[in-house]
Amino acid sequence: MNIIIVGMGKLGMTLTSQLSGENHDVVVVDINGSVVTNTVDSYDVMGICGNGSTVEILREAGAKKAKLLIACTGSDELNILCCTFAKNLGTEYTIARVRNPDYATQTQFLREKIGINMIVNPEYETANEISRIIRFPSVASLDSFARGKVEMARIVLHSDNPLCDMQISEIRKKFKANVIICAVQRGNSVYIPGGKFELKREDSINITGTRTEISTFLKQTGVYKHRIKNVMIIGGGKIGFYLSELLSDTSRNIKLIDSDPARCHDLTNALTDVSIICGDGTDQAILDEQGLDNQDALVALTGIDEENIVVSLYAESKNVKKVIAKVNRHSYSILNNIGLETLVSPQNVAGSLVTRYVRALENSSGSANIQTLYKLVGGKIEAAEFVVPQNWAHNDETIKEMNLKSNLIVACIIRNGKVIYPNGDDCINSGDNVVIVTAGNSIKELHDIFKLG
Amino acid sequence: MNYRKIFNNLGIILLVEAALMILPVIVAIIYREKTVLHFLVTMGFLAATGALFTHMKPQKESIYAREGYVIVALAWLLMSLFGALPFFLSGSIPNYMDAFFETVSGFTTTGSTILSDIESLPRSILFWRAFTHFIGGMGILVFVIAIIPKAEGQAIHIMRAEVPGPTVGKLVSKIKASARILYAIYIGMTAVLVMLLYFGPSHMPIFESITNAFATAGTGGFCVLNNSIEGYHSHYAEIVIGIFMMLFGVNFNLYYLILKKRAGQALKDEELRWYLSTVAVATLIIGLDLMFTKFSPADAFRLSFFQVSSIISTTGFSSTDFDIWPTLSKVILVLLMFIGGCSGSTGGGMKVSRIAVVFKSSARSIRKAVNPRSVETIKLNGRPVDEETVNGIIGYFAMFVLLTAFSVFIVSFEGKGLDTSSTAVFACINNVGPGLAGVGPSGNFSHFSLLSKAVLSFDMLAGRLELIPVFMFFTRYIIPRKTS
Repeated sequence: MNIIIVGMGKLGMTLTSQLSGENHDVVVVDINGSVVTNTVDSYDVMGICGNGSTVEILREAGAKKAKLLIACTGSDELNILCCTFAKNLGTEYTIARVRNPDYATQTQFLREKIGINMIVNPEYETANEISRIIRFPSVASLDSFARGKVEMARIVLHSDNPLCDMQISEIRKKFKANVIICAVQRGNSVYIPGGKFELKREDSINITGTRTEISTFLKQTGVYKHRIKNVMIIGGGKIGFYLSELLSDTSRNIKLIDSDPARCHDLTNALTDVSIICGDGTDQAILDEQGLDNQDALVALTGIDEENIVVSLYAESKNVKKVIAKVNRHSYSILNNIGLETLVSPQNVAGSLVTRYVRALENSSGSANIQTLYKLVGGKIEAAEFVVPQNWAHNDETIKEMNLKSNLIVACIIRNGKVIYPNGDDCINSGDNVVIVTAGNSIKELHDIFKLG
Repeated sequence: MNYRKIFNNLGIILLVEAALMILPVIVAIIYREKTVLHFLVTMGFLAATGALFTHMKPQKESIYAREGYVIVALAWLLMSLFGALPFFLSGSIPNYMDAFFETVSGFTTTGSTILSDIESLPRSILFWRAFTHFIGGMGILVFVIAIIPKAEGQAIHIMRAEVPGPTVGKLVSKIKASARILYAIYIGMTAVLVMLLYFGPSHMPIFESITNAFATAGTGGFCVLNNSIEGYHSHYAEIVIGIFMMLFGVNFNLYYLILKKRAGQALKDEELRWYLSTVAVATLIIGLDLMFTKFSPADAFRLSFFQVSSIISTTGFSSTDFDIWPTLSKVILVLLMFIGGCSGSTGGGMKVSRIAVVFKSSARSIRKAVNPRSVETIKLNGRPVDEETVNGIIGYFAMFVLLTAFSVFIVSFEGKGLDTSSTAVFACINNVGPGLAGVGPSGNFSHFSLLSKAVLSFDMLAGRLELIPVFMFFTRYIIPRKTS
């Protein structure tokens, strides 16, 4: 597919890396020449230096023949302009990054009247993801399939976890909960575990199941954390604002700390049921003063990664139950080793959304449609939900009989609204929704799960 | 430095060279020559070494500019060392240093020869000699990028190191597609030339149509006849080859634009305009100069055009012994050697765009000296060239001149005439082929000492690979400094 990406900021680079790796013909545009050269040197793409919101540059980039244009410059207005022009020049689909909350309420207008197919608001999506984790605190991250019926949770196995040193087949027998352990990350490698796979300390595992089954499983393994009531948010930027809005209801106490008095004023005008504190949230004295000890969760959302990390470590040392840090440069995989379980990166969240959209565009020719797609663990694991099409040739064939690719697992089958946790004797039939988890493969449509030949 | 990846790539190049040698083997079989054995032995060495190198599986895939240069430099050196074996083993060129010189001259598309009696050599050898021009013209690494199934984005570093010109861009997003398009245009134009030569009124035999087309496409200049294109006594052949030499000296990106129906944009290219005007002006002046000697106007301009086209594209074919031309004409030819073809073509020399930038930069310096407060950028095709590129070009110019001077110095130790010694260097470093006097169209390079031939071989490689890959080996970035 011909894709144009305008704006080589963090989101632009993340998308370039993912989309060029999936064999699309990508053209990148940025006003800064050295950024363009850098990108062309690192990825197999073509680069144009210039203002991507001008018709001339868009023409040069091939807007007429492009299938998709993604505008992710630093300015919302430029992004919207860019998409409008591209649409007029002939680009089929356009995606714009829009972060300003003022525009966020107009997404429907932008979609219908201006013709922008998708608005990506990374800050809002990140806040969404964080709020999901806060609502389900036992896990390090959480993604959902089948409109929420099935969830995939990631947990890190600490030394006190009974799952350590157990084989997958033993776990099934011992803990009666209906969950499937579908992926394990150890160090830098990712595995799709078979029955004989043994879990070890500090492994990060992904489990699929319904919310209730996962909770049961976690309670049985003693990892369950109880409801979060008191939340402290450091940093009143856009993410902090959206998050406070999403979490505020009478059962929770939210405290939002920001160091800019003017900003605090705006926040208190805009938010209800949230305590706004003006102070330096990275100062340990202030954290103690504001009762860090009593908090159930701390979310570090300042603009500086390092500050977020330091605050999070301090909170962990004070035994705050749930600590979440925003880290822009997600190459800090070593952070997992020092105990920071939950890291969110706005680029990755937005990047996954766009990649999902691109995959859906690829499949729009009909066959087994991708319903949802997540790229996890820095892109190493892919979890995709498909609808099994009517012309499916493998009805009533058991999973054992199927010649599936290695490093791939059928995590879950949803048939007629019921969730089935498949073992080797289950089948995948037309009309089912099926969730596939794979490491290292790219499953574009359901037939890709089979070995070639 | 990703050594494993470098060796892995080198292995692939050697295997490709082995595979390409099948063609001369087929020629040897057709003409029933004993050289089949010699080629097969060489292929054996290549395949063995290549297989050994490719066994080094790279641990990490990433390469940068540095690795690109090293791969290109070593690939070309190894290619030439092995490629000389058929000449040496078959006895066509009994001295290995001579065989190496001839092979380097082949791959770098120079066209300087140490042979005095070309026509007596076996056909398969002559075919390999011309084929090396064809391979080296567009580049073997670009060929490898085009054919290997697994594409990598960072191959751009390799392409940048091998394709000539101050900046190298892609035609389309994927580098593999870009490389394929370049090769498709290259092969297409060569095929057209073969047909024009074979089916035209020159009645050129098929073997020679093909070898001459190879030599034209790569702008190399090896001919199977001792007196080059003059030997065909065909005005048709001279005009056709003259035009095609000029065409192969044009930036291939422009041909892509023409294919994409953007011919208007292609014809507006500034470098192309400089190139064509230079050809026109040089042809005119030399033509007039020749007319004042004993040549008829028709002959004067025909010979002038052919030679100007041959030299500026750095092919090196000759349709007459231009060494007997008046001094003005000869000097113009020498200057044309340094200008060379356009960037992104198979031509040598410093490249038209670089010369244009050097002139513009000099003019700017003068203007700035007169009015220090003035601010100017250098523009090509209406777009500003960034200062880093301009500095690179001026640096390149300086290095080129220094290398030329140093090489002439070493070659002059032998004591040959000034014109022979200096034009030998000029012809090699610009990948032209023939020079003047002792290395003119009626001479050859056999009479140089071993040292001179070594220096000239180095110059040929340096010129074709545009200095940096060859000079890199003398810097401490490649050779790690011993820290005590």
